[in-house]
Amino acid sequence: MTVRQIRDAVRDGKMTAVEITEATLADIKKRDGEIHAFLETFDEDALAQAKKIDALRATGESLPPLAGVPAAIKDNMLYAGHISSAGSKMLAEYKGAYTATVVQRLIDAGAIIIGRTNCDEFAMGSSTETSAFGNTKNPWDKKKVPGGSSGGSAAAVAAGFVPASLGSDTGGSIRQPASLTGIVGLKPTYGRVSRYGIIALASSLDQVGPFAHTVEDAAMILEAIEGRDEHDATSVELENTTIGEILTPNFEGLRVGVPKEYFIDGMDADITKLVKEAIAVFKSGGAEIVEISLPLTSYALPTYYIIQPAEASSNLARFDGMRYGTRAPGTLEESYLDARGDGFGVEVKRRIMLGTFILSAGYFDAFYKKALAVRTALRKEFDDAFKRVDVIIGPTSPTVAWNLGEKFDDPLAMYLADIFTTAGNIAGIPGISIPCGFANQLPVGLQIQAKPFAEAMMFRAAAAYEKQTGWSRFYPETK
Amino acid sequence: MRFFVCYTFDFRPRLFYSIETMDIDIAHVAKLARLKLTEAERKTLAEQLPNIVNYIAKLQEVDTNDVDARAYLTDAVNVWREDVAQENEVQRLAIISAFPKKASEALEVPGVFEK
Repeated sequence: MTVRQIRDAVRDGKMTAVEITEATLADIKKRDGEIHAFLETFDEDALAQAKKIDALRATGESLPPLAGVPAAIKDNMLYAGHISSAGSKMLAEYKGAYTATVVQRLIDAGAIIIGRTNCDEFAMGSSTETSAFGNTKNPWDKKKVPGGSSGGSAAAVAAGFVPASLGSDTGGSIRQPASLTGIVGLKPTYGRVSRYGIIALASSLDQVGPFAHTVEDAAMILEAIEGRDEHDATSVELENTTIGEILTPNFEGLRVGVPKEYFIDGMDADITKLVKEAIAVFKSGGAEIVEISLPLTSYALPTYYIIQPAEASSNLARFDGMRYGTRAPGTLEESYLDARGDGFGVEVKRRIMLGTFILSAGYFDAFYKKALAVRTALRKEFDDAFKRVDVIIGPTSPTVAWNLGEKFDDPLAMYLADIFTTAGNIAGIPGISIPCGFANQLPVGLQIQAKPFAEAMMFRAAAAYEKQTGWSRFYPETK
Repeated sequence: MRFFVCYTFDFRPRLFYSIETMDIDIAHVAKLARLKLTEAERKTLAEQLPNIVNYIAKLQEVDTNDVDARAYLTDAVNVWREDVAQENEVQRLAIISAFPKKASEALEVPGVFEK
């Protein structure tokens, strides 16, 4: 069932929130052994939340917009009193002292927080394999990765455990797993959603967003979590406009940019074919297709792999076993070295090393400052393109889901999985991945990007395509 | 790795790098990062980091002479709020209970200066 269907069923008294929560928890216990989307379910608190919703309904008061809707959160989001480990041994037992704004807003909107989902360690990865707590499997083929870093949140929705979940996207960590698991995944404009209470990877790139089965559901979740938060100075005051546009999905007057640089050598031929078919759907629906060029596209990924590790190495300096986590014995320096050496996994170490090198004396200007300049240039390139078009479309990922273990020892090959998504984070623009078909029985995603804070336009285009094709109606068969 | 400045036909300085001299002092960087590495990790990183650095050095190809380097791209500048202390006993106790070592309610840490 979708977010809207569950919400309506609870509102109309066809189902109680407790019934839905109990069924959800039972389903996860029954089927998640094989998939491992969840690291933990919050049974007691979820049922307590559900009882509150049912009690509220019994009083006859109007229900909040997501009343009774089960939702999962990525393991890097704080929920007071519950473990948030960011997929790391470093924080294996860490319990947040407060609740992240996005989680609190979901609770305030009546959603039931079912549990926390597996992810790459500190959100560093594209396959969820760097988690210290085991792999998550792709519900479409359990020998394949679900993508990452928010692979658990994606798999939880794709498998049908929950109708929606939250992920975080620093370089594609929502859109890429959404593409690989055949669902909708949204990275909002930087500043649209609060980052307060999210364990930071790269603060100038991180943004929280939803996974769901339909564009409308994703928009409903976004509407609940977005907007200014005094605890995050980069969050922006908004006029809430996301949902209204979707109700009339249409292609009319839509100017769709197709960058020639988004079709690269080495991309799966089936993906090129499916994306071209998707473009044809836009065209036959009445949209104007405009061929554009974004020459800096190939520089987005190297820019990302400077800014992101640089910020990450600085953000992760706080994990030293002093105030929480495991304290290592010895002098101060020995304690730091051991706590960090033992607590961090291989990918996290690689990026801390890379970031520290980039920021070290002699290399700062050549790498970091250069990357910031390219970042500004890349944003300008998008700004110029959006004078001519309303949305830009292309593939979300250059490949379908790959085999578990296949790219684990080859960091550059793994990084290339995010080649089409990192530009959106660098430029701070919104992007959504929606299913556009199957290649070798594995889902393929179409990415739609828009100018900053133009999510409504993006939703309208995505919903029109979804209505025309209906790829999001497919669910994998899992027992 | 070595960087050198080269003047092109339009007389603007460009920074170039040479791949052949690529050399990353893994032990030094690990010390800066306060990161203990095993011998195996050190060896793997010594092989992998130069490859990644070669890849990201591709950015030197982009002409950014007319572009400002900006860390954030939002229009927000100087977002202020009043610095008001908020009492929250539940949070305070949760933070204290997470201390790996404590003396009563105080966090206990190793000394910065050795005796």
